[in-house]
Amino acid sequence: MNPQFLMDGLIAGAIIGLGAIGVTLTYSILRFSNFAHGEFLTWGAYLALCISSALGVLGAGFTTPLGPFSFGWSLPIAAVLAIALTGLLALAVDALLFSSFRRRGSAIIIMVMASFGASLALRSLLEFLFTSKPAYFSQALQIAMKLGGGLRATPDQLAMLVVALVSVIAVHLIMTRTDIGRAMRAVSENPGLAGIAGIDVRGVIRTVWFLGAALACIAGMMSGLIIQIRPYLGHDLLLPLFAAAILGGIGSVPGAMIAGLVIGLCEAFTVQIIGAEWRSAVSFAILIAVLVVRPRGLFGKAS
Amino acid sequence: MTSPVLATFSLFAGYEADLPIVRGVDFAVQKGELVILLGPNGAGKSTFVKAIAGMVPVHSGTIHLGSRDITKVAPHRKLAEGLAFVPQTDNVFASMSILENLQIAVALLPKSARAAKIDALFSRFPDLAVRPTRLAGALSGGQRQMLAVARALALDPPVLILDEPSAGLSPKIVADVFAMLKRINGDGVTIVLVEQNVKAAMAIADRAVILAEGRIRHEGTPSELADDPLIGQIYLGTARHTFGEVAR
Repeated sequence: MNPQFLMDGLIAGAIIGLGAIGVTLTYSILRFSNFAHGEFLTWGAYLALCISSALGVLGAGFTTPLGPFSFGWSLPIAAVLAIALTGLLALAVDALLFSSFRRRGSAIIIMVMASFGASLALRSLLEFLFTSKPAYFSQALQIAMKLGGGLRATPDQLAMLVVALVSVIAVHLIMTRTDIGRAMRAVSENPGLAGIAGIDVRGVIRTVWFLGAALACIAGMMSGLIIQIRPYLGHDLLLPLFAAAILGGIGSVPGAMIAGLVIGLCEAFTVQIIGAEWRSAVSFAILIAVLVVRPRGLFGKAS
Repeated sequence: MTSPVLATFSLFAGYEADLPIVRGVDFAVQKGELVILLGPNGAGKSTFVKAIAGMVPVHSGTIHLGSRDITKVAPHRKLAEGLAFVPQTDNVFASMSILENLQIAVALLPKSARAAKIDALFSRFPDLAVRPTRLAGALSGGQRQMLAVARALALDPPVLILDEPSAGLSPKIVADVFAMLKRINGDGVTIVLVEQNVKAAMAIADRAVILAEGRIRHEGTPSELADDPLIGQIYLGTARHTFGEVAR
């Protein structure tokens, strides 16, 4: 067996894990499955592409590759701006769509259906603007380095793993060590009590949208950098994202990341053992198995 | 007479817009009083205090905290305004530690003042200081009430409202909780208490208000109500002699 599946699985799992954190936060606090979350990954990648390309036009120095990487300063700068813009996009979607349903006390199924509609609209808009043709942050070819133990990875892939690790640690620290993190956990557990405890529940909801979309943007950029950018980038990741959020336990940030890695590794293992056509079935199988055997996931709380 | 620290005027409130549970309640509490709200099940006691706290929609009427009209103030701002509320159930964040519950409570204070306030709360409620990292969900009923009250008192509110703090507690713990409330009231905090445990509540109250069918039916001191031969049996479901024993 070729051990390279471990590296492939870790990289795919990091992308899934970051996306799943947004899904798990949205679900635990807003209490509905947001099927438009995949589109935040896609929009994040396209926004970063636009900003990065614009910076490239402004000065060739921005696109000169940094050390061993395939990208120049344009990408990290674009990442910061794209994260902010994707967060604002999520806030806009909430303000235009979901907040009105919350005010009316609409049933969860209505919120879920609305998220399907938002997903279609956001994806179609991207197809209209950018067509279905794949786009790339960089055309440069990278040679994978030997890491020992039969593993290989490109410098971009290793950078993405570091970014994912730093992101998940940062979110975990925010959730456990800061006022806003404790407020998010409090709203997740009991919104009514959180309100009378002095927590601005609406402010917390806005923070959750922004944070979830920011992480989705990072995941989308990672996917775009390592594979390619296309309008279905996020949509195609939706099933693994939900599988990871449920396997990790709804509301658990470390759980979502670990579950993302598990799913990524399982997918890569399946590709090697059975065949690439079975990759998507892995998420389905894990999702069903978790719901049957342990519905609260690995790190979720018993209801 | 001085102006009340908390008052409602013709308050109508309820979960459904066309179905008020609280029906035109005029209610006033003077500074430093400990007032209990009594009444049969379904009288609207809990709905009334939840409406004051902002957890149940107010249909009409006003709520005043001191001279300020707080009827339309968002629930999360009422604590900063000086009104703290402890619900009957789910009144602590069970999945969080004792310390985290208190950290949430002091989050509205300047950062420099938070540690000292948490220390002060631990001094006031020493049972909570034994293991601050313990999950609130693992505490006993009495300890949970203690934590809920500590959380509510974190900003030194002038008014504290509690919805049946004795519910589900053993008689010994009930006595401890009511002794704690009496001490807090002795420190100058005005308390409004919804209670089913008439005997224990009457023993510490300055005044009792009886609600039935969403309206105030009677009010007075415990001894005044005890002298009314019908009140205990009609509204409180207790025999007069029990009621009178407590009041006297």
